[in-house]
Amino acid sequence: MDILVARADALQPLGKKRKIHHSPRTPKGSSTDRTLHSVSKHTSVPKSFSRLPDAPTTYKHIANKKLRADLNRHTAQATRAKALLEDAEMLLGDEAGKIEVEGELEKTWRVGQDEIAEGAGQEAAKGRREWKLDGGPYRLRYTRNGRHLAIAGRTGHVATFDWMTGTLHSELQLQETCRDITFLHDHSHYAIAQKKYIFIYDRDGVELHCLKSHIVPTRLEFLPYHWLLASIGNAGYLKYQDTSTGQLLVEHRTKLGACTTMAQNAHNAVIHLGHQNGCVTLWTPNLPHPAVQLLAHLGPVVGLSVDPSQGGRYMSTAGKDGTVKVWDCRNWKGAVREWSVRSGGDVELEWSAKGSLAVASGGSVNVYATPSIHTPMHTKAPPPLYLTHPIPHRPLTSVRFAPFQDVLTIGHAAGLSSILVPGAGEPNFDSAEADPFENKKARREKEVKALLDKIQPDMISLDPEFVGSLAPPPKLTTVTTIDGKPPVEIPFARLPRLERLKASGKLDETEAAEAENEKDLDDNGKLKSREEREKRKQRGKGKSLKRYLRKQRKNVIDPTAVAIRKKLEKQREEKTRARLAAKNGEEPKKFSALDRFKRAP
Amino acid sequence: MVKISVLQHAPEAHLPIRPGDPTPTSRNLDPLMHPFARARERTRALNAAKMDRMFAKPFVDSLEGHMDAVEVLARQPGSLTTVASGSWDGGLILHNLSTRRQLFKVPQAHKGKVSGLCFAEGERLLSCGVDRNVKLWSISGSSETPLNVFPGKSAFNSIDHHRSDPLFATASNLVQIWDETKSAPISNLTFPTSTETITSVRFNLSESSVLASIGSDRTFTLYDIRTGKAERRVVMQMRSNALAWSPTFPTTILLASEDHNLYTFDIRHLTTPSQIYKAHVAAVMSCDWSPTGLEFVSGGWDRTVRIWKEGQGHTPEVYHTKRMQRVSSSIFSGDARFVLTGSDDGNVRIWKAKASDKLGVITARERAAMEYRESLKERWKMDTQVGKVARTRHLPKSVYQASKLKRTMLDAQRVKEERRRKHTRAGETKPKPARKKVVLVEQT
Repeated sequence: MDILVARADALQPLGKKRKIHHSPRTPKGSSTDRTLHSVSKHTSVPKSFSRLPDAPTTYKHIANKKLRADLNRHTAQATRAKALLEDAEMLLGDEAGKIEVEGELEKTWRVGQDEIAEGAGQEAAKGRREWKLDGGPYRLRYTRNGRHLAIAGRTGHVATFDWMTGTLHSELQLQETCRDITFLHDHSHYAIAQKKYIFIYDRDGVELHCLKSHIVPTRLEFLPYHWLLASIGNAGYLKYQDTSTGQLLVEHRTKLGACTTMAQNAHNAVIHLGHQNGCVTLWTPNLPHPAVQLLAHLGPVVGLSVDPSQGGRYMSTAGKDGTVKVWDCRNWKGAVREWSVRSGGDVELEWSAKGSLAVASGGSVNVYATPSIHTPMHTKAPPPLYLTHPIPHRPLTSVRFAPFQDVLTIGHAAGLSSILVPGAGEPNFDSAEADPFENKKARREKEVKALLDKIQPDMISLDPEFVGSLAPPPKLTTVTTIDGKPPVEIPFARLPRLERLKASGKLDETEAAEAENEKDLDDNGKLKSREEREKRKQRGKGKSLKRYLRKQRKNVIDPTAVAIRKKLEKQREEKTRARLAAKNGEEPKKFSALDRFKRAP
Repeated sequence: MVKISVLQHAPEAHLPIRPGDPTPTSRNLDPLMHPFARARERTRALNAAKMDRMFAKPFVDSLEGHMDAVEVLARQPGSLTTVASGSWDGGLILHNLSTRRQLFKVPQAHKGKVSGLCFAEGERLLSCGVDRNVKLWSISGSSETPLNVFPGKSAFNSIDHHRSDPLFATASNLVQIWDETKSAPISNLTFPTSTETITSVRFNLSESSVLASIGSDRTFTLYDIRTGKAERRVVMQMRSNALAWSPTFPTTILLASEDHNLYTFDIRHLTTPSQIYKAHVAAVMSCDWSPTGLEFVSGGWDRTVRIWKEGQGHTPEVYHTKRMQRVSSSIFSGDARFVLTGSDDGNVRIWKAKASDKLGVITARERAAMEYRESLKERWKMDTQVGKVARTRHLPKSVYQASKLKRTMLDAQRVKEERRRKHTRAGETKPKPARKKVVLVEQT
């Protein structure tokens, strides 16, 4: 037996602490491996190994060793992954477009579309187009990969096409009012807000569904990761339809009347609505009331857009009062900056993927570029203009940036015009998310993958990072110290009732405080013994009043409760006075006129 | 002069060069390009957990042939398919797992039950029974007469063969070491004060002269056949029913105890078990390590089979069927992919060691997807929903009720103990850790 233990000498019994042999000869620091030392001069460790995470969070406070080791490992891995992410940026192939000017006097907005188209490459110059159509003012929408375009004219002319190759998918003359159009998950389906209902068509223009629960819709938004089609109508009901299961998920009554302005935040799937009374409301499917409501304008809100470039941090609104405002969605205290557009009326807004803001108003489209549009400004000066383009066909009803292109398309009364905005588009796409060059097989595969990864609608919230974050500590345990011992955590179920009430916040402290005031004094002014107090306690007296008080919460000021409290106070005072009187024997009488005849005692 | 550049994608960089080429993909790791990454990953993890449960079909087959309860199973070292089983009716069957056929069958190998089985070198099998005989069989032929019979003085409870030498050990009221060529035991091993029955005996796999036994006197004893002595003995709270040496860590031993728990001990430190495994709701009757040493299987009186991860003392995988009775023997297969159990209903059942494992050829992409799902489950196991799906197992009603009752009783005991401590003088009684309660005394 001892032989076995002796053989396994390298591993000593677990119970004993292992002795650490410090060799006295070698000074500290020089105890490295000799081989390693000789090799290290001529070699270099791969970057991924050599770069240690700069300051990983330590979990020294966690007692559980296994959990601590797990957490440490995960943090180190995450930090390393983050560091490696910076290296991966070198692999990005395409470069963003830009306009560079020399000197102060040259302005980018003086550069016209002809000049830009001339300077652009052959492929990019295709983005500058004019479509002359006579279907009334047009609304339009791109797919998420920027390849396909859907347009809907007010009078019912609807078309979807691949705008790069010019392949027409479908063209419909619906002969009724079309107010908005949106693609669903990809270009194979699209939804149109028509005169009375929403209709869903497939790529070839075959009507698939008529959504009769959406009545008189005005605007549509599709939340691609949740597969939800959101619509708002003249009745002011925001409705969410799940396009994967087909059920109407929820309808919210906004109570703010007809609404014609809607935008989604692509980073948290919150729907922004602009109302007639100047309010902007933010909605999620799981809240029956707006998550945020703010008074943005002194008149109807007509344009609304959320910036995708900063993770949905900025929102811009435009009102009928002719002002455009940029808001910080984390802090609603006033607009970051605001300015008024020269020609009032309906203003359309759209942010690009790189943070350019397009403002279409009156007869022109203005584009503002990124750093200046986000910097706070107290005056109402407009930000420096980046590009401007006049369009003589009023009204301009829709502006959309093409994803992954430097193209801005404007829908107006005489059709569509698309202009080039250098630097507006994200140059590098990710094939796993949206690929402009995907083939049929990839599209099909993506559809299945997206359905599998569909996020449940109740996970929409203002902060999308709450998924997978630490839950707040439950209230169901309390940490108590029992007679000076170190604090122990007692589960809720095993607490005494009073403690449980206290933990769940249902205990009313008023009674306790009153009981403290009302210390029972016996005739000699001493505290009565506990038994005596119990015995003398009059049951049932003033019970209903006290019960009423007990049911009230202390932090709520209720006139009835205040009155009752006062009444009880008065009763208590009377009682003490009576007790004092009893103690002092006779109450000291007032001096009466006849007292002068009293014989002195 | 104004310099203008407009973004344009070169189609030749993003389209296949020739028809039939794979389409080039591009990646952009900017987090802004991947909205809801965490929420989507969680959905994927939830789907992975659900798929795991959906494909959990652990039962593979049952091997029939015994007339009575299967008492003992043994795996042939070095073979993936050959397994021997012995039953209470004295029958002995050699199974081939891949073809599910009986290679060799002796209906009356022993009178009374076959209590122990082990393989010897060169296609031979040793069996012992309560008829006081050890028999040596040749499994290459098909003759029903044993090669050799070793008569003993009392009924045998267990047998195990030495790893390399032609020696074997038997357990009766004492441990005896036999040579295959001699008809009488070459030595008797016993702890000086021991009088009761030895129920099981096992040789250590790497330090092959070390022997461990458990007895009905609640003891666990270590012997060395070179010194011919019992070296150490541990008396425990309850008796053990089975023991197994770890195949990868020579000092670790696993004991299946009557008190519903399994214990691993480090034999260098016998005062406390290194881990307690709690989930069975009745006595554990058998246990066996996976050849990888990372898992082990246990079968219990509660009619369930549980598969444990080494070092994780709770929430094992649990298998049960309607017709499976008390599980009296359980072993892992040689490739660690299957588990075999013999139960009171007379069947030997084959189970997958991992319930949702796919049998058959797996392509590289499929393997990659499976590994991704595994890591997702691991990463999101703290999520309420994912964890719940991954953890929850359906249990037969009797087992469920028994576990509920057990939990209630243990809770009550703990609360009572706590209250008692609260009302005694401070520091008078200290709570005793569960691991310290297992061993009563260690003797040398």
